[in-house]
Amino acid sequence: MSDFQELIKNFSNIREYVRDFFVYGFKTRNEFQQKSSRTYDNQRRRLESWLSPYVRKDYATGGSNLSLAIDSNLLDTNPLFQVWKTKSFTDNDIVLHFFILDLLQSSSALTVEEITDKLLTKYETLFDVQVVRRKCNAYAKEGILQKQKIGKSVTFFLDNTLINWLKTNENIHDALAFYQIAGNLGIIGNVLSEQLEIQNQTFRVKHSFFVHTLEDGILFELLSAMNKQLMTQLEIKSSKNMHISTINCIPLQIFTSTRSGRRFLCAYLNSHRRFNCYRLDTIKKVFPLENVEHYNELLEKLNRNRPYLWGVSFQSQERSHLDTLVMTIWVQEPSEQYIVDRLKREGRGGTVTKTARNTYRYEIQVFDCNEMLPWIRTFTGRILSLECTAKSVEKRFYEDLENMYHMYKI
Amino acid sequence: MELFSELYSCYYRVLRHLLCSQNPLTIKEIYNRICQEGFEESLLSIIPKLEDGSWDLFRREGELYLSKLSPSFCIPLTNLEKSYLKALLADSRILLFLDAEQAETLDRMLDSVQPLWHQEQFYYYDRFDDGDPYETETYRRHFRLLLKAQKNRQFVDIDYNSPKGNRVHHYYVPIRLEYSLKNDKFRLLALEQRSLNYNKLETLNIDRIASAQLTEHTLPSSIDINSIIQNSYYQEPLTLRILNKRNALERAMLHFANYEKNTTKIDENTYECLIYYNQSMETELLIEVLSFGPMLTVIGNERFLKSLKARLQKQKNLLQA
Repeated sequence: MSDFQELIKNFSNIREYVRDFFVYGFKTRNEFQQKSSRTYDNQRRRLESWLSPYVRKDYATGGSNLSLAIDSNLLDTNPLFQVWKTKSFTDNDIVLHFFILDLLQSSSALTVEEITDKLLTKYETLFDVQVVRRKCNAYAKEGILQKQKIGKSVTFFLDNTLINWLKTNENIHDALAFYQIAGNLGIIGNVLSEQLEIQNQTFRVKHSFFVHTLEDGILFELLSAMNKQLMTQLEIKSSKNMHISTINCIPLQIFTSTRSGRRFLCAYLNSHRRFNCYRLDTIKKVFPLENVEHYNELLEKLNRNRPYLWGVSFQSQERSHLDTLVMTIWVQEPSEQYIVDRLKREGRGGTVTKTARNTYRYEIQVFDCNEMLPWIRTFTGRILSLECTAKSVEKRFYEDLENMYHMYKI
Repeated sequence: MELFSELYSCYYRVLRHLLCSQNPLTIKEIYNRICQEGFEESLLSIIPKLEDGSWDLFRREGELYLSKLSPSFCIPLTNLEKSYLKALLADSRILLFLDAEQAETLDRMLDSVQPLWHQEQFYYYDRFDDGDPYETETYRRHFRLLLKAQKNRQFVDIDYNSPKGNRVHHYYVPIRLEYSLKNDKFRLLALEQRSLNYNKLETLNIDRIASAQLTEHTLPSSIDINSIIQNSYYQEPLTLRILNKRNALERAMLHFANYEKNTTKIDENTYECLIYYNQSMETELLIEVLSFGPMLTVIGNERFLKSLKARLQKQKNLLQA
């Protein structure tokens, strides 16, 4: 273990470990069979180091379990953001980072040669001019340094206008405190908050899935491809059989469930001439390909299809085009008006009609009624009837109910 | 633009804090700072680099470490951070925080920047339809007032339209503003002063607040909200048995990932999961468990089991009628 390094080069290697520990939290060492023992030990040690306040150890028969005890009701930030702050670097990287930026705080624009000279005179550190050039160009590309060319001379300088404005604006601090925990790509809001020395002590978030941040790298690449309207190649690892496949698709939209904790890419497959959704946690790599000329037409087509989507499925198992589901429920009026409100609020465009006193009918037409079953079951105790043109859905609903009566001896 | 970059690393942040320190530091002070802000084992990596001069960022004067950086050191935003801010400017909630002039100023400063995403690129397919009215002036005014009161621990005089239709009037100290992604709503977690020595934690929907006025009174000390929430959890957690069919295990683990829980394997295909919750979460949790159908079995607690059975019995009666 003498060569153990706390920091890592590659995020994708650790992503699955964190997910397994966080989401499952019951896997013992023996159950991580696809990795060597040494890899497992090192990754486990890293997780314990990065996330120490949240790590819980339990002892099971097959060895000890490591899990992450994260209760989102009690947290001001997402503890899993720590995983994004573990990138390794060289000695030169960190020294040049601080000295170049410090040097330019008090200087006007400087050439690479001037910067290299001043690093020696001011900080007594000797660097090759090519090393300094590489770092300055990299920082200009990241937006930290400004680069300008006057004649043959290329100079670098700092522009602190924006950071200084942000530092003095308390309202933006509040906004960042909120968005880092509740918004998309919150990790960026979090590092920006740290840069501004802001800590969230105001906002909490309910129905949040902290594990999503592990997919933020993939999300970021997909959004980049969507912004540029590019075809992409995805490397996908099946969550069921671990089989890895690649597909070429046109990424169009991110579908998010606020209930199940799943996020999907909705994409168009030219080869099958249809839309399909892929879970973000199964996408391992994203490779941008060529520009798609008819991108906006596909988006419009998706928008036209969306009213018939219940979740993420564009086709039922019975392969019919559209299915109709009708649910009749009993509501004690007027005290249980909130149930009718629920039907309207959560019914995703389905019609709600009062058919008799205390009786309401909900009707909807969607691509795949099978996806509706979890929601339908939330009305257990009120359902007078359920009819669906997809008979397998009806059958499963009633069979599941019978199973539950049996399980609970009712 | 890179998301996984050393620019955002924990080590860079720890070193920035050490280097921006105005005072010379002893090695013990450096140790303490690394322990506070770094990872658990960061000390083992950072200290040798400082001591052997590989990171020659300090001048040594005897036992003291003096930063080579100027105190005014600061780092401009990366393109990634700018693109992120640009995307936030298009969010419907941003004007709860910024006034129009501030939003305009920021937009001008980010004039040449492309947003990291556009709102329409995200589709929340199971989000409720009745989200809060962020664009109305009354809502924004209440939100800002509550935000101010929360920071100052100030009592607020609130007139509230309860879900049952009653008008309630009380003095509250805002403790947290809670956002629900599913409901697209903000709720106020606030202490209601019942007597001189007794405050009760209440949850109010911000869009149900009819009027709110700041008062002169403040709470003398801060409140440990987590203790209040944790103390509200039932002693006996919900115990679920999960049969791993139709991918139920993975779905359940993800679905309940935002609860404090503990899962153990019982046999090859069965798992047991303990979920900690309180009274305010009970109905929602019951509905979530029901949504899984027979894939989950509730073992306990008795209270939860009783509610579940009552619903199933009612369902059976309805279908037999």
